[in-house]
Amino acid sequence: MSKVDTIKERIPLIELKGITKAFPGVVANDDIHLTLYEGEIHALVGENGAGKTTLMKILYGEYRADKGEIFVRGKPVRITNPSVAVALGIGMVHQHFMLVPGLTVLENIILGSEPVKNAVLDIKSARQKIEDIMQKNAMPVDLDTYVEDLPVGLQQRVEILKLLYRGAETLVLDEPTAVLTPQETTELFKTLKALKEQGRGIIFISHKLNEVLEIADRITVIRRGRVVGEMPIEEASKEKIAEMMVGKPVVLEVENPRIEVGGHCLVLKDVVYEENGVKKLDEISFSVHAGEIYGVAGVEGNGQEELLKIISGEIYPSAGEIYITDKVVNRISPMGRRQLGIGHIPADRQAQGLFIDMPLYINVVVGWHWRKEFQKRGILDYKVMRSTASTVVKNFDVRTPSVEVPASALSGGNQQKFVVGREISFDPTLLLAAYPTRGVDVGATEFIYKQLIDEKVRGKAILLISADLEEILALSDRIGVLYRGKIIKEFRREEATPEIIGLYMLGVKEE
Amino acid sequence: MFDFWYFLLRGLQLSAPMAYGALGAVYSETGGVVNIAVEGMMLTGTFFFVWGATLFKSWIAGLLFAIVGAVLISLIHGLATITFKVNHVVSGTALNILASGLTRFLSMQVFGMETQSAVNPYTPPTFLRINVIAYFFIPLAIFTLWLLNRTRFGLRLRSCGQNPWAADSLGVNVYGYKYVGVILSGVFAGLAAATLYPYQWIDAMTAGRGFLALAAMIFGNYNPLYAVLAAMLFGYAETLTYFQSQIPLLSGISPILIKAFPYILALIVLAGFLGKTKPPKADGVIFEKGEG
Repeated sequence: MSKVDTIKERIPLIELKGITKAFPGVVANDDIHLTLYEGEIHALVGENGAGKTTLMKILYGEYRADKGEIFVRGKPVRITNPSVAVALGIGMVHQHFMLVPGLTVLENIILGSEPVKNAVLDIKSARQKIEDIMQKNAMPVDLDTYVEDLPVGLQQRVEILKLLYRGAETLVLDEPTAVLTPQETTELFKTLKALKEQGRGIIFISHKLNEVLEIADRITVIRRGRVVGEMPIEEASKEKIAEMMVGKPVVLEVENPRIEVGGHCLVLKDVVYEENGVKKLDEISFSVHAGEIYGVAGVEGNGQEELLKIISGEIYPSAGEIYITDKVVNRISPMGRRQLGIGHIPADRQAQGLFIDMPLYINVVVGWHWRKEFQKRGILDYKVMRSTASTVVKNFDVRTPSVEVPASALSGGNQQKFVVGREISFDPTLLLAAYPTRGVDVGATEFIYKQLIDEKVRGKAILLISADLEEILALSDRIGVLYRGKIIKEFRREEATPEIIGLYMLGVKEE
Repeated sequence: MFDFWYFLLRGLQLSAPMAYGALGAVYSETGGVVNIAVEGMMLTGTFFFVWGATLFKSWIAGLLFAIVGAVLISLIHGLATITFKVNHVVSGTALNILASGLTRFLSMQVFGMETQSAVNPYTPPTFLRINVIAYFFIPLAIFTLWLLNRTRFGLRLRSCGQNPWAADSLGVNVYGYKYVGVILSGVFAGLAAATLYPYQWIDAMTAGRGFLALAAMIFGNYNPLYAVLAAMLFGYAETLTYFQSQIPLLSGISPILIKAFPYILALIVLAGFLGKTKPPKADGVIFEKGEG
């Protein structure tokens, strides 16, 4: 008998049949079938909002399906809440970790399944049990550290230990690599392969196709709540999956020509930012020229937020100088800097980029309301605002019924296209692009990349900050690695590989 | 003559309302419910104490009444903040106002007078000249410390105040634990009431001690033992008022200033420490199942 046949005859660990779930206005899951076998890593891929997380929340008992059945080892089950799922051997690592920051690693692991002896927590036996698990799977963590003090990679390890402590046979990992460095990802994949060898089943949710192809045994693609394809890894290719995800062919490699650079548009000279005695930015110096994209890579929390704020003017440097073109702007307000020609795609479009409950024609002047064309005798000119908003919507392919609807009515990708479009439309000389495609689907990502590159080619200076290394590598002409508030290394794009950048991101290598 | 031993004991008694209030608040806030209704719960408790004691001619009935009265207010706070997701501070403020009106209204009905009751002869027994209930707050603080750090209940309550979504995902009944935390704050407010001045009910007799209890809790960094020690700092500061004439050093100072001293102390302490204390991460955060 061939290997394929034996798999087919085995009873699946998990079987989802005809799962349907509707939320007001959308069908998140529409008649979804999915099977997971022992010793298998099954990748669930799809764009943001395709319904992957919803499906997994149904499996984990956080949502109830409107229709459909779930089988665990061939037996029909009703998973009414996460405790039922845990009892059935199903565990989930959420995209946003479900950890309690102020508890220790040990407390986090036992929470909800605490061993008790004479009314008191039996820490000793818990510790023994966890240490066994850690040893067996080569996943060491210091059990007495507070979780808030752990790096993200180890926090994720704690999440997985939580599942193993509860004896999970099926592990659901929702976008587990989104927050990891390449090295941490490698570690995670080692762990996952070891768990697979032990006969556990793993559902791996992702939209990073390289990773899926590296780790998965089987792939299910969903689009708009429906399964559009299922295939063993041997039959999968990056192009094929991407096309299935989006529903049309996608150009994955963006063309990014290097052009002759012009003068300095942004210069930071020994910029220091201190907060409560801590140097969040430590003597940062770099410059961005007209006609280039300068990418800042780094693990989140190494000063990205402060760097952005200090350039946009939300905070002022404690020492050093910031120049925009040739002007020192140290103490100039955000609006003053915009008037000097800064455009800013902020890190969080919903918190900073848009007034989410206001219509698009008002959102189009956010940050730019001072411009003459919007003023009519000192009062905002709604007519001009409406026509400007319509132009942005048209030029940047924002899918919206009209400019009268609130920004909240748009999908994440369209909100982002609107923000990007707005910032580009006013012709800034320097564009700050922070996480420009965070939470945006493949189609919109491609579009935004093209826009940023077009701007560069037109001679704009762009500072790109992103947590996505692929994005940094695809767009940047030069790359600086931010580590503990310092730019510890600069690369030209040709010199950089994800592995080398990763080493600097972790501070393993230093100049 | 300065009677040092009596000063010590009297200080213990005067610290007790703040200490019990602070302990109760620790339970509530550890579970993530901001509880500025402590003042209102204590005030309601004092009224109920006198009511119950005079009604059944027993201080024990008074104590039970005090606890029930305070718990009733805490239940409203729980219902508002946990079930109906009202902003915790808004609910607390409303309940403080409600408590002051409610006690006056009930006083009219029960005692026939709006602002005070007749003298209540049924008060808790004294041991070494002070209210016997005042002796228990330090052991209870130690017990609370143990309960929060060494038991399943404590671990789960802490997890609810830090990341209720995580707790929920592990099958912890978040709403239930939050209610227990809030109700315990009511129980402790009842104990606070029984140590306040159970000889008579007087309108607004808590005089901000519920707020001082909160200040003590914050100053004590949400740790039951430190919170109680902070409450004692305020309590002993208040004790000075009564011993001013016996302490030569203080005789020159205006009695008004001495009376204000605990409050001024609280203000200074809070101004100095508020930014440095570490409340539970999700303290005051509205928890909705399935979000997050």
